[in-house]
Amino acid sequence: MRGPAPRTFDRASPDMTALRFRRPSARIALAALLLAGGLILCGQGLYIHAKALLAQFLLERAFSASLATGFPTKPWSWADSTPVARIAVPRLGASVIALSGASGQALAFGPGHVPRTPEPGDAGTSVYAAHRDTHFAFLRDVQAGDVIEITRADNATHRFRVTHTSVAAWDASGLDPDAPGFHLVLATCWPFEARTAGPLRYLVHATAMAE
Amino acid sequence: MLQTIDAGRSPGRPFKRGVKAPVPVNVAASVSNALLALGLAAGITMAALGSARGEAHSAPAVSPPATVSSPLTVVPSLASLKTTRPNDMRSGALLVRREDGELVEATRLGTDYDITVSGPTARARITQMFHNPAATHVEAVYVYPLPEGAAVDSLKMIIGERVVVGSIKERSEAKAVFEQAKAEGKKAALVEQERPNIFTNSVANIGPGETVVVQIEYQEPIRRSDAEYALRLPLVVAPRYNPKPLVQTVELGAGGWGSAVDDPVPDRARIEPGYLDPREAAPTNPVTIRVRLAAGFPLGEVTSRYHAVKTEETGETSRVVTLDTGAVPADRDFELTWKPAASKAPAVGLFRETVAGSEYVLAFVTPPLLSNETTERRPREMILVIDNSGSMGGTSMAQAKASLAFALQRLKQGDRFNVIRFNHTMEMLFPAPVSVDRSNMARAMAFVGALQANGGTEMLPALEAALVDNAGSDSGHLRQVVFLTDGAIGNEHQLLESIAAKRGRSRIFTVGIGSAPNSYLMNRAAELGRGTFTHIGAVSEVEERMRALFEKLEAPVVTGLAASFGDNAVDATPGLLPDLHKGEPLVVAAKLARPGGTLEIKGTIGDQPWIVTLALANAAEGKGLSKLWARRKIADAEVAKTLRTLTPAEADKAILALALEHELVSRLTSLVAVDQEVSRAPGQPLVRSDIPLNLPAGWDFDKVFGPRLLQQPREIRADRLPGPQQDARAEGKLMPTATRLAAALPAHPRPHVVTQGVNQPVPLPATATDAELRLLAGLALLLGALTLAALGRLPTALPKH
Repeated sequence: MRGPAPRTFDRASPDMTALRFRRPSARIALAALLLAGGLILCGQGLYIHAKALLAQFLLERAFSASLATGFPTKPWSWADSTPVARIAVPRLGASVIALSGASGQALAFGPGHVPRTPEPGDAGTSVYAAHRDTHFAFLRDVQAGDVIEITRADNATHRFRVTHTSVAAWDASGLDPDAPGFHLVLATCWPFEARTAGPLRYLVHATAMAE
Repeated sequence: MLQTIDAGRSPGRPFKRGVKAPVPVNVAASVSNALLALGLAAGITMAALGSARGEAHSAPAVSPPATVSSPLTVVPSLASLKTTRPNDMRSGALLVRREDGELVEATRLGTDYDITVSGPTARARITQMFHNPAATHVEAVYVYPLPEGAAVDSLKMIIGERVVVGSIKERSEAKAVFEQAKAEGKKAALVEQERPNIFTNSVANIGPGETVVVQIEYQEPIRRSDAEYALRLPLVVAPRYNPKPLVQTVELGAGGWGSAVDDPVPDRARIEPGYLDPREAAPTNPVTIRVRLAAGFPLGEVTSRYHAVKTEETGETSRVVTLDTGAVPADRDFELTWKPAASKAPAVGLFRETVAGSEYVLAFVTPPLLSNETTERRPREMILVIDNSGSMGGTSMAQAKASLAFALQRLKQGDRFNVIRFNHTMEMLFPAPVSVDRSNMARAMAFVGALQANGGTEMLPALEAALVDNAGSDSGHLRQVVFLTDGAIGNEHQLLESIAAKRGRSRIFTVGIGSAPNSYLMNRAAELGRGTFTHIGAVSEVEERMRALFEKLEAPVVTGLAASFGDNAVDATPGLLPDLHKGEPLVVAAKLARPGGTLEIKGTIGDQPWIVTLALANAAEGKGLSKLWARRKIADAEVAKTLRTLTPAEADKAILALALEHELVSRLTSLVAVDQEVSRAPGQPLVRSDIPLNLPAGWDFDKVFGPRLLQQPREIRADRLPGPQQDARAEGKLMPTATRLAAALPAHPRPHVVTQGVNQPVPLPATATDAELRLLAGLALLLGALTLAALGRLPTALPKH
C-alpha cells in the first residue's frame, strides 16, 4: 500500500524554502500522478461493489429463468458458474443469489456454496460463504430466531431458523459436513469493521424448521 | 544408521529455542533397537526391513519374501498419477486418493514386536516407526490391535537422538495436552484405547521426510488350555460392521419436540480406518517379531501356526523365536504355542511380586480331570449360530461351515438342536429346537452347505433368538449355544449387555473364525455366558479345535468356585470366579496386605467336591504382576458395569483410580508424550494421514465393502434421506425405510478416503474484499494530490509579503 503524501511535503517541514527552487511542472506532474492513482484506486474499490451489485442483478434474472425452465441458465455468456440457490432473510429484506463453488472469482459475484458440503435441506451441514462488505454484509444484523429461506435450483424451498452465531478461524471452523441433522451455515469474514483480510470467520448457524 | 535418522529431523528447525532435550532414558538401546528393527532409510522398504534384522553393516542380500514382493503399493493407472510428478515416485510409494481427488503419499509404518515371555506373563515392546514421505507436515493416525488382556503402561517417542517419555493422564486431559502441542507445532504422541483390544496412536507434526519412532510396552498373562500355552498377537484390526442407529439426532423444532440420540456405535469414526484392496495394493505395514521364550519348565513342542519362524534353542526351558522371512505384512494374528516336554503340564503355578510395599500374587490351578465314564452324559439342547456376513467371505466361511458340520455330527440320540444363521438378516432353521433324527440332520446339513457369505453383521437379533429358552430350567437338557463368528462388529457392548441380561441357564461357547477375529468380544461373551472361547484360524485346524471344544462341552463343569486367603486382607480378581471347563486353569490375581499365608480353592466337579490349598511362601518370583492385577480389576469393573452390579459412575471411578495408580491405558486414561522443540512453524499446514490397513488374510474385499460397481460418490446413509421427509422420520414413520436402506447397503462404506485434512472441518474461503482498502488508499492519494497543489501555491505567495 502506498502511504499518505511523502514527508517532503509535510507542512511542518522547516525546509520549505527548498521548494522554491523546484520547477512548478515537476510539482504538477507529481500531483497529477497522485490524482490519477487515487482515482484509479477509488474506481477499483467502487468497481468491486458495482460488480457485486450488477452481478446480483444478472444472477437474479438467470436464477428466475433457471427456475422457470428447469435448466441451469448462465447469468452472462462467459460466466463459468451457474446460480444454485437464493438465500433470503425476510425480516431484513435481504436476498442474494448464490453460485456454485467458492473460488475468489465466484465470490466477487455472489455467495458461494462451499464444496464438499451438502445441498441445503439435505442431511448434514450446508455451508455458504460470501464477502462481509457486499453480499453477506447483512449477516451482522441477523439474530438468533431469524428465518433464512433457501430456494434451490430444483425449486425446493427450505426454511431454516438461526440458532446462534459464532466466530472461528477459517481452518478450524468445527463444521462437520456430515453432522447428523439438517443444518445451514452462512459464513463471512470477521470482524466486520476490519479493513484487511484476517483468519477469523463469522458463522451464522441455522437448522431446518419442521414444516 | 544413526545419521540417517538425524538427517530426517526437521530441516532447518526454524524455531529452535535452545531448549534442552529431555533426559535420555535408555536412548542408545531404544534407538538402536528401533533402527535395527525397522531398517530405517529415506525410502524404507520391506527388503531393507527384512535384512536389517541382521548386521547393520552387512549388505542387504536378503531378498524380500515372495508374499510381499513389492514393499508398498503404487496406484496402477498412470493417468491417475498426473498430479504427482513422476520423479517423486520412488519404488515404494503408497498413494492414496483424498476426497478431492488429489493423490498423496501415505505415511508409512513399520512395526517391531519384541516379546519376552517369563513363565506366566509376557512383556511386549512394540516399536512403531512412522515415516512421512509427503511434502507437508502430517499427523499420522494408526488404529491397531493389542491382546485384550494387555496392560499398556509405557510410551516413548524417539526423535533423532532424543527420547520423550510419555505420562499417563485422564483421557480428556491427555487429548488436550496433545492438541495443544499439535497446534503449537510440537511433535507429540498419544495412545488411546478404543476397545480393550483396539488402540489408536496419533503422532502430530511429523515433518516432510521425517521419521518418528513411537514405542509402547505392555504386560500380558499367558493363556493356557489343556497342556498348551499360547501367546497370541493380533496384528491388524479387521473391518468392523457398525450397525446404523435407527433414530438420528433431530434438532428441536419450533414446538419444542425432538428425539433422542441412540447410536449403537457412538465412536464409529474412531474404529473405521481405511483398508487397501489386496487386488490393487501389495501388502503394507511390515512387521518383525521376536519372542524370547522362558517357559519356566522343560519345553517340548513350540509351534507358530500362521507364520514361518526360526526357533533357536537357548536352553532346556528357553527358546528365541523370530520370523523366518524377516518381515511380514500385518494382515493376520501371530500365534505361538508351546507344550511341556513332560506328558503332563504342571497343574499349579504360583507367582509373587512386591511392588510399592504391596504383595501381589498370581495363581494358576488346573482342576483334576474326571474320566467321562464316571459321570452320566446328560442330554443337551444345542443351538448352533453361524455368521454368514460379508466379512466371513473367503476362507472364513469354509472354516465356519466345516466347524458347524463337525458339531452336527457330534450330536447324539436324545439331544435337541437348532441352527441359526445371520448376516443383516436372520433365519432359524426350525421354529423351535428339534430332536436329532435323520431327516432333521439332513435338512440341517443342506442348510449349512448352501450358506453364502454376504451382507452386514447384525449379531444382536441372532444372539437373542439363540438365548430364548422355551424348555426352562425344569428340562433335563443342558442348554449350550455355540456361536461361530469373526466378531467383526463395533457394538460389542450391546451384545455383552444382552448376554448379561438374557443368558438364563444357557452357556455360550464362542468360536472365533478367521485370520484376525475380535477376541475381546469372544472372550468376554464366553466369560459372561459361562462358556469358553475357541479360536480357529485355518480350515486344517477345524477338526482338532472343534474336537477339543466338544470334549469341553461333554465333560463335567467345575462350578461353585471360591478362593480364600485365610486371614490375610486381600483384594482378589476376578471378583466372581468363572465356571471351568475341561483343561482350563483357574487364574486368580490378588493384592495382599502381607506376604505369606495360604490360598485355598474350593469347588465342585460334576457333583464331587474339590479342594486345594497352596502355601504362598513357596511362590516363585514373577514380573509385572501388579499391572496384570490392575488390568484384571479394570476388566472386573467393566463386567460389573455390564452386569449392572455397579453403576456406570461407580465403575468409571474405580477404573480411573486403578489406571492412574498403576499407570495403565484404559477407556478413561491415555498416555501422552510431547516434545519440547517446535518443528512446524505457525502457518505451515498440517494434514491428517491415516495409516491404511491390510485387509485380514483370506477376506474378500468386495464382500465387505461391496462391489465397485455399486460404489457411490458419497456414502449413502440412512440419515441421508431427502430433506422434506425429515419431520416424518422424527416421528418414526420412515424408520422401516431407513432400516431397509441400511440393510441393503454393503456392510461397510468403501474406504475410498484414506487421507484427508486434519482440519476436517470445512475450510472456509476468504470472504473479505479489498474494496474499502482501495477506496481509502485512493482517497489518501487524492488528498496528497490536493495538498501538493495547495503547497504549490504557497511558495509563490510568500514573496508578495
